[in-house]
Amino acid sequence: MTFSVKRFMAIFQKDLKDLYRNLYVSSTALMPLIFAVIYSRIGEVPLAMHLFVITLSLALVGTFLQCAIIAEEKEKNTLRGLMLSPATLTEILAGKSAVTIVITIIVTAVSMFIMDFSFTGRGWLIAGILLSLVFFIALGTWMGLITRSVLEASVYILPVMFIFGMANMFIGLADQFSFLQVLEYTPGIQLEEIAEFSEAGAGFDELWKPFAIILAWVAATLVLAAVTFKKRMMD
Amino acid sequence: MIEVKSLEKIFGDKRALQDVSFQVKKGETFGFLGPSGSGKTTTIKILTGQMRQSAGTANVFGIPVSQLNTPEYRKRFGVVTDNSGLYARLTIYDNLKLYADLYGTSLQRIDEALESVNLGSEKKTQVAKLSKGMTQRVLLARTLLHKPELLFLDEPTSALDPANSKHIHNGLKELNRQGTTIFLTTHDMEEADHLCSQVAFLNKGVVQLLDEPKQLKKQYREEIIGIELKDGRELELPLKASSAEEIQQYISREMVERIYTKEPTLGDIFVEVTGRELV
Ligand SMILES: Nc1ncnc2c1ncn2[C@@H]1O[C@H](COP(=O)(O)OP(=O)(O)OP(=O)(O)O)[C@@H](O)[C@H]1O
Ligand SMILES: [Mg+2]
Repeated sequence: MTFSVKRFMAIFQKDLKDLYRNLYVSSTALMPLIFAVIYSRIGEVPLAMHLFVITLSLALVGTFLQCAIIAEEKEKNTLRGLMLSPATLTEILAGKSAVTIVITIIVTAVSMFIMDFSFTGRGWLIAGILLSLVFFIALGTWMGLITRSVLEASVYILPVMFIFGMANMFIGLADQFSFLQVLEYTPGIQLEEIAEFSEAGAGFDELWKPFAIILAWVAATLVLAAVTFKKRMMD
Repeated sequence: MIEVKSLEKIFGDKRALQDVSFQVKKGETFGFLGPSGSGKTTTIKILTGQMRQSAGTANVFGIPVSQLNTPEYRKRFGVVTDNSGLYARLTIYDNLKLYADLYGTSLQRIDEALESVNLGSEKKTQVAKLSKGMTQRVLLARTLLHKPELLFLDEPTSALDPANSKHIHNGLKELNRQGTTIFLTTHDMEEADHLCSQVAFLNKGVVQLLDEPKQLKKQYREEIIGIELKDGRELELPLKASSAEEIQQYISREMVERIYTKEPTLGDIFVEVTGRELV
């Protein structure tokens, strides 16, 4: 297995340039920023609100962007050309993931800046966000491999957005609708726990559990994406 | 360069290729001719590793096509199919720059490749604004960037007007002169005649005939002399001694407008061999 940094960079640059001109997909990345602006007007907001915007950003930017840019390559018959070039599918997906990661981090950081939320002294939370980002990107990669068009991607992202992106909001309704309690296990809620526990001065002896749950999500989606990826390599 | 033996491809219960065998030698321009649905694109897909055959062997560069999926081998060939795509939001230049980087060729090649398809002045144009023919020329330029040893072209001029077809034909001839082996499919018989050193007739998944265009035309030439007389009559006489006297009479009486032999086109030969029109 070879990996060429030069080819990876070529894909990265191309996707960045292309995304810049892709209003439909890039405007989705503005959603978390819009929420951030709205909440910043409210004034004093609870920690949970910040975590809601962070999780929304991870799902909407991380997962959707990744899924949409992979799906579009298939829709426009450009993936075939890349696959016939010396670029390997690993290089292609790595280049795309890098674009998604960069943009997700920027959008998340800017949203938090707008909401006056400082990351200083929140090392645990940053670690949790980065780990969750792997999950959201892997989920987007898997969805990109199974969807055939940007339109399909926009439909498939809806359940992801409701379950993973907005869990922090819907969990408030869990008292009335007990089935919503499963949302407890989403990475978003686990991030909220990490933020709250570490705020209260907890160490790793208490924090390991939310990290382990997020890690389980990461492992599951990585396996899912890898299996689908292998299948795609064949045909 | 290419060796194909008893190639077979089955889609469900449909047999797209039944028994295809042929060889392409280095330096040839090989025309793969056949009507729509005869299996031309399927053959290219198998040869470029985009699809597995159901049976038979296919070797390219002397190795089985199943082993062609490494960056090193992919650098040695180029492909343009009818469903290749470009990035519509990017400029022609940016589209080619991506591929120049992927193939590790110099950026100077972009200008040279665009020049060879007559698009030197359109570098900065966004691909979304191009006509179908221009898009096809950009795709061709894209595969020329890395000067492949072997070029697969699936109906390269099907969307082009005669002037641009001619330009592409000249470009391909030049490329071939410089050593690129070309495998092209087409149902344009004139194109095949003009470009190819070998042609294969594919019909219903079987290669029915394989030879040089010149040989084919010689072989299928009708043994007839046509005479057009000044009074408008047209005669066809067998190319035999028995016709000599009659012909001489027309000539000595200065009645002849034109004398010709009947050369079949590749299209005529295709119909004769397969009993099918090439559409
Ligand atoms: N992926 C596929 N699944 C099922 N059948 C297919 C598939 N690809 C091709 N075929 C069938 O195989 C046959 C050969 O198709 P192919 O595309 O190779 O023809 P072609 O010679 O390239 O035709 P054209 O000149 O129209 O491009 C056709 O009957 C087609 O319907
Ligand atoms: Mg075809």
